[in-house]
Amino acid sequence: MPKFPLKKLFATLFQKLWFNKYSPPTFATMIQKVIFSIALFAFAVTQVSAQKCDLVLRGKILHLENDQPIEAAYVWILETRTGAVTDQNGNFVIRELCPGTYTVTVQYLGHKEIRETINLSGSTTNQTFKMQEESMDLSGVEVHGHRDAVQTTTAVTSLYGEALLQSRGESLGESLKRVAGVTTFSTGNTISKPVIHGLHSNRIMILNNGIRLEGQQWGAEHAPEIDPFLADEITVIKGAETVRFGPEAMGGVILVNPPTLPTNKKHTTELNLLGGSNGRMGNFAASHSGGSEKIQGLGYRVQGSVKRAGNIRTPNYYQANTGMAEYNFSGSIGYSSKKLGIEGYYSYFDTEIGILRDSHTGNLTDLIEIIQNGEPFIKPDFTYEINNPKQVVSHHLAKLKAHYHLSPEMKLNFQYGFQLNQRQEFDRRRGELNARPSLDLELFTNTLDIFLDHSRKSSWSGSVGINVIQQANSNIPGTGVTPLIPNYDMVNGGVYLMEKYLKGPLEIEGGIRYDFRKVSAARFIGNELQEAELDYQNFSAFLGGLYQLSPYFAFTTNLGTAWRPPNVNELFSQGLHHGAAAVEIGDPNLNSEKSLKWVNGLEYEGKKASVEFTAYLNQINDYIYLNPTGETFVSLRGTFNVYEYLQADAFFYGFDLSGTYSFSEKFNGYLKGSIIRAKNTETQTYFPFIPSDRMDWGLAYSFGNLANRITLSNVLVAKQTREPEFDLAPAPPAYALFNLGYNRKFKLGENQFNVGLQVNNLLNTEYKEYMNRFRYFTADMGRNILLKLNYQF
Amino acid sequence: MSNIQRLNILLLGVLSLSFASCNSEAPVLENDRELITDLILTFVEVNQTITPIAPPLYFKASDSQGIGIGGSPTIEAITLDRNKTYLMTIQVLNSIENIDITENIIKEADQHQFYFLGPAFSSNIIAISYVDPSGKSIGLRNILSTTNSPDTNNTIWRIVLRHDLDKKFLGASSPNFENFVQAGGETDLDITFPVILN
Repeated sequence: MPKFPLKKLFATLFQKLWFNKYSPPTFATMIQKVIFSIALFAFAVTQVSAQKCDLVLRGKILHLENDQPIEAAYVWILETRTGAVTDQNGNFVIRELCPGTYTVTVQYLGHKEIRETINLSGSTTNQTFKMQEESMDLSGVEVHGHRDAVQTTTAVTSLYGEALLQSRGESLGESLKRVAGVTTFSTGNTISKPVIHGLHSNRIMILNNGIRLEGQQWGAEHAPEIDPFLADEITVIKGAETVRFGPEAMGGVILVNPPTLPTNKKHTTELNLLGGSNGRMGNFAASHSGGSEKIQGLGYRVQGSVKRAGNIRTPNYYQANTGMAEYNFSGSIGYSSKKLGIEGYYSYFDTEIGILRDSHTGNLTDLIEIIQNGEPFIKPDFTYEINNPKQVVSHHLAKLKAHYHLSPEMKLNFQYGFQLNQRQEFDRRRGELNARPSLDLELFTNTLDIFLDHSRKSSWSGSVGINVIQQANSNIPGTGVTPLIPNYDMVNGGVYLMEKYLKGPLEIEGGIRYDFRKVSAARFIGNELQEAELDYQNFSAFLGGLYQLSPYFAFTTNLGTAWRPPNVNELFSQGLHHGAAAVEIGDPNLNSEKSLKWVNGLEYEGKKASVEFTAYLNQINDYIYLNPTGETFVSLRGTFNVYEYLQADAFFYGFDLSGTYSFSEKFNGYLKGSIIRAKNTETQTYFPFIPSDRMDWGLAYSFGNLANRITLSNVLVAKQTREPEFDLAPAPPAYALFNLGYNRKFKLGENQFNVGLQVNNLLNTEYKEYMNRFRYFTADMGRNILLKLNYQF
Repeated sequence: MSNIQRLNILLLGVLSLSFASCNSEAPVLENDRELITDLILTFVEVNQTITPIAPPLYFKASDSQGIGIGGSPTIEAITLDRNKTYLMTIQVLNSIENIDITENIIKEADQHQFYFLGPAFSSNIIAISYVDPSGKSIGLRNILSTTNSPDTNNTIWRIVLRHDLDKKFLGASSPNFENFVQAGGETDLDITFPVILN
């Protein structure tokens, strides 16, 4: 079959379709064109797959004004007469290009055409194009701002655009429940930690604008100190990513990324105003970004948010002392020129969170009584007041980042981050002690990354770098309580090397890393000073691949080792965990956890349907867990359960599935689900707090020129039948929740105004979630009606 | 100076700044200020006008380490006579920090209350009522009377100190309120004394 003439034929057809001056574009014809183009393109790709040239141009098309992805924009390479149409996330891929210089055009209805020259030299080129609306009067074509896209062969899911807009007002943990395979480990309704494939806290990593977030994340009731409003994209990497990001990235990594800084004089502002009926929550967020008129490439952004809520209501009662207040700010300034890019960034997070009064128990008898009661004894009225027990946490993060293009193939990167985390926890105490925190910790962290990226003319690209983390933790004296964890200093140094190879539809990547960690801890036990020096070291490696089976199907696989040195609380806990009626005993001889995670993904991106399926296995040796000894400890205050930190081999496996289907232009459906199995393979028992099977599905109907959308969704959560041998209370029964949403987009002049009305837990169902630690004490949140206003100008 | 040199100087500067600071503080000995190490019960035999008519008797529960690993509390047996009326007062101490916690309890009378439970009361061997001078029911000062004909002369007496409870809760004003947990708050002391009635 003669291939080349066919290709020419397709190209001609494409041109006829898109550059026919005699048919003025309407929305309907546009859709038809797009659909036809996809079909034509898909067919064309299968016809020309025998070509030798193997370079790939990938990218994203965004609206210039708000960075929202553009679906169905058309990307065309003039020289090769090949093209692609962006998917609903604004992504496109053009494959099988020969090295050389190309003219790329990007077209979308009502937007100015972009025409740019691109030099394809080696491997995959990633390019973001921002399209400007035709009506806007700005001179010159705006093309620019590239964020380094996450390039990994492991399963990656991002939350941005409308999905992120819908999650506004929620904490980071709650927002990420929208990603299949991600759940939360929570303490009440205000503290939630993301769980990726059954792992959380120190077994996953959260990056705030590229800096690994370092708080006291070992604590089950310590939520990540990050404002979701600072992000325009939250990405979840579900693989073991120790090589790329350092120790502890065992279960996965969460990247919270702010938008790229503007490089032109355009100014944009976004305002968000949210209100929720449950807890009478109010939330306001604003961000403003702009660029310098005088200095080309200089841009800035400031952003802030305020949140206040009172007592949460379950369907039948208010939870005492569950109010919260949060104040956040971030700002960044950056300069980018052809060779040099510099960015300074600062973010501040400040929160005060009330802890359910009755969850704080004096001894085991108290604890058993309230668990038997199934709900709190104290059921007050609504109030915004926050009393003890409570947490007051602030987090400062400053970062300086620079990159310099040494040559067209070499880029040197530097990134330094400083963090100060202050955590105070207050209990109900007598007299003046009530005003003093029971736990008062100050954690300083310095992180340094220097790495060199290279991309050669051949299909190779990669990076080599060093990474240093230095940490100092101090207990602030004066609490009148024996510190839970010691004062310590920690230094972690790592060197790594990663390479990627691209050939045709195949991408292969691999990497190795060596880490060394030194911890020195000191504290008083009784009247004696106890000191400990501990060293850990580890090699980690990964190997992954991506294979584009067809234009619609892609298969990814990633096998990675990861490690996590034991945390200070696991090593040194000794004594009463106040409020939890538990005595916890650490073990300074614990080994590092070592894991091997294999993640496989299959993606289908069709005309009407898209499906993402992820399956994984994770073998963790020396998994550290808190085990009830079955013994009790007797004191004048009563009896306490005794827990000890133990290690055992663990095996996790599971599946995530997410898919969408368009029944018609107006009628869409989605489905998400995840299944996790985790077992202690030494004792053949189950671990506590592993998410039960769950599914979330919904239908959306759009009308009125697609500017209005109604969504009805249903969350189904099974009972956790794989329970550990010891638990304070049996796993709660399965539950089903219904949510209803209505969104409307308005055009106010040139500006965008979004209104959203959401009703969560529509039927006001009383339920308890297994992954919520307060399921022992109270039912979960009842109906919540949220109004969300978003204005961009 | 080339751009690379400039960049190098910048890198060096930032590096030396950042890694020079930040070491953890030396740990400071922190004693538990709220810890209760001793509970002392003082019994004085009184007549009808609450006038002492015998020397006081002291019974103590103590745990010198407080809530720590290894130590266990020492609890003395309360030895009383039949058919007598006693004024019983309670003293709560932190002997490690030398603090008399009783004073704090009096200051926060609306947040604290002692309950007296167990067979000693449920089997009507001992009857007790609050006679706190403040007029508020705390249980630091009580009148108790022992029965003339107990079924047994060996029984047990459970003392519970509740903190941050709702004192207006129905039944909470009784010194023998078994369902004290329903009034909210948490337990600061939960001690069971053996009682011998001669």
